[in-house]
Formats: sequence, C-alpha cells, structure tokens
Amino acid sequence: MKKTVDVSIPLGPMHPCWKEPVRLKCETAGERVLHTEVELGYMKKGIERIMRGRPWQEVMFLAERVCGICSVVHNMVFIEAMEGISDIAVPPRAAYLRVVANELDRIASHLIANFSYCYTIEHETLAMYLLNTRETVLDNLERLTGSRINTAYMIPGGVRFDLLPEDAAVMLADLAKVEDELKRYVRIFETGPLIGLRSRGIGCMSRVDAIRAHTVGPTARASGVEDCDLRLRHPTYRALDFEQVTRTEGDNFARVMVRFQEVFQSIDLIRRCVDTLPAGRIRGGGLCRAGEISYSGEAPRGELTYTIKTDDFGRVVDIAIRTPSIMNIEACAHYMVADAASIADVTSTFISSDPCIACNER
Amino acid sequence: MRSIIYYVREFLRPEWLKKFFFVKTAPLVTPPYFKGYPTRTEKECTGCFTCMMICPAPEAIAVLRRKERWEPEVYPGHCIRCGLCVEACPEGVLSSGRVMEVAGRDATAFWHSYHLEVDESLCMRCGNCCVACPINRQIDPRLAGTGTSTSDDVIMRVKGGRVQILHEEKCTGCKTCETQCPSGAMRVARMVEGVQFLDGVGS
Repeated sequence: MKKTVDVSIPLGPMHPCWKEPVRLKCETAGERVLHTEVELGYMKKGIERIMRGRPWQEVMFLAERVCGICSVVHNMVFIEAMEGISDIAVPPRAAYLRVVANELDRIASHLIANFSYCYTIEHETLAMYLLNTRETVLDNLERLTGSRINTAYMIPGGVRFDLLPEDAAVMLADLAKVEDELKRYVRIFETGPLIGLRSRGIGCMSRVDAIRAHTVGPTARASGVEDCDLRLRHPTYRALDFEQVTRTEGDNFARVMVRFQEVFQSIDLIRRCVDTLPAGRIRGGGLCRAGEISYSGEAPRGELTYTIKTDDFGRVVDIAIRTPSIMNIEACAHYMVADAASIADVTSTFISSDPCIACNER
Repeated sequence: MRSIIYYVREFLRPEWLKKFFFVKTAPLVTPPYFKGYPTRTEKECTGCFTCMMICPAPEAIAVLRRKERWEPEVYPGHCIRCGLCVEACPEGVLSSGRVMEVAGRDATAFWHSYHLEVDESLCMRCGNCCVACPINRQIDPRLAGTGTSTSDDVIMRVKGGRVQILHEEKCTGCKTCETQCPSGAMRVARMVEGVQFLDGVGS
C-alpha cells in the first residue's frame, strides 16, 4: 500500500543528479527524512504495445530499445525466451559469444552506474575516469558487433557475427588495460576519505529488509542475499564456473563495490570464454513457433523477466516485461533512505541503487 | 590533512602530469567496423525485395524501379543501421561497415518464408494491397496501369467482392501491402531463420 507523504522536499522530476525523470517525494523534519515515496510515469513509451503482432526480427530491436544502458541483455533474454518456446538449440560457440557480448555490456553498465554515483557525491574526477574507461569497453563491443549500444547481436539459434582470433587478442589486451586502470580507481574509491564519509554507513539496508522488499541484482547482493544471481542457473555461465559476488554491509559503499567486483569478474569470464571458445558454427537455424513462456535472465541491475506468447508464425501475440529496477527503486525509497540523516544522502543513495527509469516505464 | 595527501598522491604522479601538459586528443576517425547507413555497391539489384522483407524499421528501405533497373533506396531518418538488409541481400548490393565481408566470411544467411492473411472484419475491399504489390504489377502489367485485373497468376486480387490470396508462394515478404492497407487488415507473417553454411553443407 502506498504511504501518504506530506511532501516537504520534492526531488525531481528534473534534478541534476537524475539521469532520467523521476520524482522522489520526501517528508522531512529539519534535515532528517521521515518518509519517501517514488513517483514514476514521466517517460512511458509503450514498447510492449508496439511489439505485439511483430516477428522476432522486429521485436528484437524494440526489446533492446527498452533500456539504453543494458540493451544487450534485453536482446539476450528475449531471444532465449523465443528459443525456449520453439526448442531451438544454440551451438556452443554462439552461446560463448553471447556471454562475451553480455559481459562487455555488463561492464559498460556497471561503470556508468558507478560513474553516476561518483558524480552524485561530487567526485567528478573519479566519475570521468570511469566514463573514460567505459569508452574502451564500448569500443570492444563495437568491434564485435558493429554498434556501441543497440547491438542486435543475438538471433534465435545463434549470433550474427563471429569473433576472429585477432579481434579477440585486441579485446583481451584492451580488457587487461581496463583491469589495470580499474584496480587504481577501486583503490581510490576504497581509500578516499571523503568518499568514505559520503558512502560508508549511508543508506543501509539489512538482509531481511532486502529480502522483504524483493530487491534483485547488485543491490540485493550488497545486502548479503545469497543465491540471487540468475547467472548461477544459466547453462553457459555454469560451464564457466560462475560464482556470485556477495557483500554484507548493505550501504552505498557496498553497492558500488559489488559492481566494481562484478566488473573484474566479468573481465575474468570474458577471458575464460575466449580461451575456451569452442570451434564450430555460430548459427544453428530454427524457426520460431507458437507457445508461451516466462523466462528470466540476469541483467546488470538484477532479474529481468520476459513473458511472451507467440502465434503459429512466430509473431509475438502478447508480451510483458518485468525489469529489475522497479523493486530496487521501491526498496530504496522505503528501506534505504528511511530515516536518512540528511537530504543530500537521499540523492546519492537513490543513485547507488542504480535506478533505470527507462526500463521501468518501457 | 588526509585528503590533501590523497589528492597530492593522485595528481603528482609523473604519468598524470605528463598527460596533463602534453596529451592531445586523438582525432576522431570512423573505425572500419562501424555499421553506417547501408550504401549501394556497384553490383546490380535484381529486385528480390529481401532487404525490404527483413528491415525491422518502418519504411526505412524501398526498392524502386528507375530507368529500367531496380535501385534500393535507404531513408536515413528511418534506418536504424542494424545491418540486417546487408546480411540478407543475396546479391551483395548493399554494404555497411564490414557486415558484408563478415557475413561472407562466416557464410551466414537468412532463410525466409511467408504467410499472407487478410482480416475479413477489417478489410473494406479497396484492393490497395493488390495494386501496390510490386510482384502483382510485374505479373500483370494491366493491374499496374488500370488497377483491375482478371489474371489468376497474381498473388492476390479482389475476386467475388473480397481479397483472395491466389499464389502465396510468389510473395517476397516486402510488406508493401501491409503499409498500403488503410485499415490494417493485411498482415504478412515473415518467418525468418538465421542459418550458416559450413563446408558447403546447409544446416
């Protein structure tokens, strides 16, 4: 049930810290925040409505336009849902290449999330460092797929382009450079005294609260929720011995650090993928058929679910998308910033939960 | 005090100072792997409409008949630069980044089949779909000139007061009927399958 909030401080919908329009209604007593409520609905696109009646080759492009930051995973979850409906098997090489593209996208997404956080706590130097590093990652995504953001890399039964050994070598060299740079940035973040003042012990959410609020993704993992990464259940990631990153503090610092650790983990995963890339074909073929499925995958922000119904010709009859940020935003408003000591912490805590409003409102 | 030490340590590194004074932004160059808007190569278009069929963006590409030859025309405002038309074209008429070379190297292609259906409750029997259909116009020139046809070789025509699909197998999935239909009654189901040919054997 929605709480009634006697708004004394509205944050947004236009706010210099927000990347997208959202309104936080805060009830305050002096500096102390008593209640907070989120107001969404400023950028509804109606993508699910546009998707209806279209075949996969059109819906694929609409799906990745749901979110501009984590577009690859939207493509991946939609395509894997279609494959689940039609029993299409993916060649092992294609499955590994999908992981490469997805992890590159995850690195880019986590870096921009941490950029936003550093920018919000006014550490612009570190923020710009991270944004600069992200460019290298996007260049590699472009080398693999031809586009930086909306890549449309996966199709039912495989991927669109193969990864050449020389491109793979350039990618690994670039990622080694990214890893080196990131180690320094993480040290700056961990040891920076001013960053510590703004991050450690701010916006705490306990494990019990995190589970009660159904948080997902790095937000849940920072509060110590185990076994909440859907990559643990994905067959390709299982073959790569994926292990979940978990921290126990549950504050802003932990949420940002979880993302940093996941970036290192993603770099490792890409290395393992490229080293053990099986030979063979990258497309297996297979027509989309009629059926109904609900399929989830791990987006950079948490669990992403596509519920799809198709007709005999593989066209989408009905589709519903549940994106991860919706739970994290509500958890942020009701648990993280509840009883915050300062209004300034509301913005940074909200950004630390990595809200993606475009995802939420589709 | 700690923060001062922290900033001094961060910014008095020789590497950083060197960068600060001497680094120049590299000039912006378009990498060869960038997928731009598709451009025409010197190969001749055969008018098979595969590019129009696979295009996910509404009205981003049209294959037009100009001076006795077919020419694919890309509308940059609508095109989303996905490169699917380049990958799907069997003749290599379009090129974008290195998509064509990569698709040739990997021997990837798309297989496609179509199904036409008319929603009788929406159709108002105007016959726009039959007249607009580029295949219909090639099969029966009279249809192109006068808008009426008595030929039974066309894909579809108004017969007995309603649109009847006569030869679904001749459809190339170009969606022209779908875009020209004023009431949204015409639907072309395009079933596409991504395939790869390795060692000359199809999957």
